[in-house]
Amino acid sequence: MGTFRLTVPGRLDRIRDVTGLVGEAALQAGFDSHSAYACELAVGEACENIIKHGYKAEDRGDIRVSIASLPGELTIELVDTAPPFNPARVPDTRAWTPDDPPVGGLGLLIIHRVMDQVQYLRRRRQNILRLVKHVPPGAG
Amino acid sequence: MEITTQEYKRLTVVTVTGRVDSATSGDFESALHGLIEKGRFSLVLDMAGVEFLSSSGLRVMVSVLKSVRQAGGELCVAQPAAQASDAIAIAGLDALFRTFPSREAAIASF
Repeated sequence: MGTFRLTVPGRLDRIRDVTGLVGEAALQAGFDSHSAYACELAVGEACENIIKHGYKAEDRGDIRVSIASLPGELTIELVDTAPPFNPARVPDTRAWTPDDPPVGGLGLLIIHRVMDQVQYLRRRRQNILRLVKHVPPGAG
Repeated sequence: MEITTQEYKRLTVVTVTGRVDSATSGDFESALHGLIEKGRFSLVLDMAGVEFLSSSGLRVMVSVLKSVRQAGGELCVAQPAAQASDAIAIAGLDALFRTFPSREAAIASF
């Protein structure tokens, strides 16, 4: 249990540092390996969105990560200084069919399918994304 | 991430191991599209050694699947590690990819 903090440069090859920490914190919070990995996936997608759609390129700024690990609950906060970018809007998948999914949009879908809460704040020229996940009933 | 390919008469087995994410998906895409450009449209993707599969990797898989099917081929997934099958399921793509519990079963499906 506890708080984990990490700041990484906005580079795609540093996302693994963030997801590794998320996985560790999720296991400490009591998640099973599948749910912990799902959290890693969701946070990895959020970081990728910050770099590609927020900063619009690598090495344009940092991603500040803080993770609060409590029994049965994981809260991840990602802070960046890119122009406003809100990934908290639920992606519209009504037009999707299982046989012909769009090639794009999968990252947001993964974030929203995995996390229980996705909250976005714009404050002091910073994007703050807060992701919360609870241990699924019967898991852990 | 490491990619190895084995070409058989009727199909090609692509073995990918490690982390398939936004940092590596470019190489993954190049390898698979390189096979398509050579006319190899029957592909078995052995994912037993995949440690992480992000949407970037999934996008490549969907794009390649569409390309090979348009050419009359198929992309099958063989013995996916839990990290690969979990990512495919979370993205809702499990109905899209034909998946087999072993490499041999995937090869036999062609």
